[in-house]
Amino acid sequence: MKEKIEDKIFKLWIISSTIIVVTIIVFVLGYILRKGFGAIDLEFIFGNPKGIPLGVEGGIFPAIIGSLLLMILSCIFASILAISTAIYTVFYCSFRKVRDIIHLIIQCMAGVPSIVLGMFGYTLLILYLRINRSLLTAAITLGIMIFPYIEVRVEKILNEVNSSIINSSYALGISKFHTIIRLILPICKADIISAILLAGGFAMGATAPIILTGAVIFAPIPQSIFSPVMALPFHLYILTGEGISLQNAYGTAAVLIIILLLINILSLIIGRRKEHR
Amino acid sequence: MEIIKVNNLNVSYGNKLILKNLSMPFIKNKITAIIGPSGCGKSTFLTTLNLMLEEYDGKYNGEILFKDKDIKAYDKDEIRKMIGMVFQKPTPFPLSIYKNMTYAPIYYGVRDKQELRNLVESNLKKVGLFEEVSNELNMSAMKLSGGQQQRLSIARALTVEPEVLLLDEPCSALDIKNTAIIEEMLLELSKEYTIIIVTHNLSQAKRISDYVAFVLDGELIEYGHTNEVFYNPQDKRTKEYLDGIYG
Amino acid sequence: MKKIENSIFKGIVRFLTLFSVLILSFIIVFILKESIVFFKEVYIIKFIFGRKWNPLGSADKLAIFPIILGTIYVSVIGIIIALPIGIGNAIVLSSYTDGKVKRVIRSIVDILAGIPSVIYGFIGLLVLVKFLEIKFEFPTGESVLAGGIVLSIMMLPFIISTCEESMEKVYAEYSGYSNALGVSKSYMIRKIVLPNSKRSILASIVLALGRGMGETMAVMMVIGNAPIMPKLLGKCQTIPSLIALEMGMAEVGSLHYHGLYASGFILMMILLIINIILYIIKRKLI
Repeated sequence: MKEKIEDKIFKLWIISSTIIVVTIIVFVLGYILRKGFGAIDLEFIFGNPKGIPLGVEGGIFPAIIGSLLLMILSCIFASILAISTAIYTVFYCSFRKVRDIIHLIIQCMAGVPSIVLGMFGYTLLILYLRINRSLLTAAITLGIMIFPYIEVRVEKILNEVNSSIINSSYALGISKFHTIIRLILPICKADIISAILLAGGFAMGATAPIILTGAVIFAPIPQSIFSPVMALPFHLYILTGEGISLQNAYGTAAVLIIILLLINILSLIIGRRKEHR
Repeated sequence: MEIIKVNNLNVSYGNKLILKNLSMPFIKNKITAIIGPSGCGKSTFLTTLNLMLEEYDGKYNGEILFKDKDIKAYDKDEIRKMIGMVFQKPTPFPLSIYKNMTYAPIYYGVRDKQELRNLVESNLKKVGLFEEVSNELNMSAMKLSGGQQQRLSIARALTVEPEVLLLDEPCSALDIKNTAIIEEMLLELSKEYTIIIVTHNLSQAKRISDYVAFVLDGELIEYGHTNEVFYNPQDKRTKEYLDGIYG
Repeated sequence: MKKIENSIFKGIVRFLTLFSVLILSFIIVFILKESIVFFKEVYIIKFIFGRKWNPLGSADKLAIFPIILGTIYVSVIGIIIALPIGIGNAIVLSSYTDGKVKRVIRSIVDILAGIPSVIYGFIGLLVLVKFLEIKFEFPTGESVLAGGIVLSIMMLPFIISTCEESMEKVYAEYSGYSNALGVSKSYMIRKIVLPNSKRSILASIVLALGRGMGETMAVMMVIGNAPIMPKLLGKCQTIPSLIALEMGMAEVGSLHYHGLYASGFILMMILLIINIILYIIKRKLI
């Protein structure tokens, strides 16, 4: 009898929690997209913010481009360093201690809250090094944020390459360099790109690190990496926080979500393709 | 003629001594089979010959002469080019068949398309794979059957024009039919290459090898012509092994 | 030629690795350095346990006890809400679904993880805060509770994916034996899968706490940001939101500026302590 009651309670619990999760996601996406679509038109996507205060009318084109640029730049910074570090730890590092230290530092870094990274970027790059608040400073900060994320994944991907494949390449008398560049990286290409895309999406949605380091309320499309930049999440924050325009805030949120969903789907497709190889 | 000569070889992983004071020759253009129970060190012996041992963090001392010159005097990559290796499990690269075959030649500087094609064709023919896949060279090598994958691995090892071919139980993952194909192929290949094969399949050793070396617990117990070792073993332990006592 | 190629590549890879590791270490040292300046002027115990945060006042008016409590409070509320839902969902994913259904639910969870925090903050402000104000007639909906609810949603994907992974393994390992005994699936999950997943549940709690306490945007937009002692239905302030709101105004080198760094430092220390404690618990559980 007791067993029967427990069984009922258990089932009620797990079913309702699943329903809750599904409801939340349907609600969040549905709410943003439904409300957002009302605000989105060509003018909104391809126009500059207008009106007083700025953003009441007009569009968000500079913010869309700004966000994409931030994502691309931060991904470039982070991937070059992260892929190198992963290659080093997997293929070249012969001391266990060194590898452990690298892992420890990366793990520490992954645990640093993004706002603290923003604070660091702000102090070092803008206050001490006197670089303008710009695309560059924001992208560096975001790059630092996604570095551990990419490194950990790429290292995992490289480790999963069958060691017998690597050894057969060595057994053909082929150098480590050539084996890595011509064999291992091509095999892992899809997975690595997929991981970088995910990290890029993460960088694009992040607000905290760029509040202090680069995002501004209004800027035209950046002319160089030293220009200030608009970003979708920051624009959304300003529109809501300052109560400027709810309508446009919905639109901005919807555009941000759509772009991120596209990036995630793309990442999934690229990562999936490998399984059919 | 001896192409490889091993003198007083000791091999160890960390503190563990795997091979003890092992000396033997390998005769050019002959098939030498290394037999012994699993864990006796025969695979380790094979990896020592082309310095793959390093990749597994093993160490050796003693002397290995390749064409009368210590292999340490050669470049590591050079030795591996001259002494090719095929592993126990088929190891096709997850690339197309064609790219599997051109991977090493391109590295060694062959750029001419026609020349590459010829290389692919002639080496695939040597392992009898060309007729089976000639229309599907751009297909992923992972789609081949196990036996085909192993033959591709052998053909790939041949693309760098080695003089010696090391095979580590190449048929253990294959069925009887594919095993027969590979055995026949090895006999054919031995006209051009020196073949050293590790196997625990005694009848296979008997069928294809010219010389046999019996290794037990890291020591070379007996070495000689295949027929002599099989029909007239000198050592009691060899006889016991052949009779199936060590399993 | 090939030798040179090889060593150049190795050199570049090594250099870039060293560079990355140095940057990362530099960041950690930098934050420590900027905070230590502050602790030379303000006694650390006083900073942690003092009650007043008045950046324009004198050194002894700079303390963050309510803010620390706020940070912890919001995250704990988040965990309390998210944990049962997350574990329940992980059970369904690991033991009750397979094939298509599993993939669908999994990708839904992935989408949840991919939504940026500012969106959660946005919805939290427009829907949740309004809802609390209207339905429950709170004077202000901006509260610890609102922050906790928003955080719980953000924590869900972490909890679900961490728990699911190990539950799936346990389930696969024992379901055969258990079926042979003729007990029901739910009995087996309650008696075997759940107890055997203790470690991953703990791990997910640490992960989620770390995530929650470091979260800026979503929390900042719904908690009202008042540095007072937190109450479930009242406003509060968290360390990340404090930094986000005040860093831009703080004069470089001022006590206020170093105080903000010091709060970032304290936040990182709290996260470290939580990690250590749970590491110990985890070891004892084995």
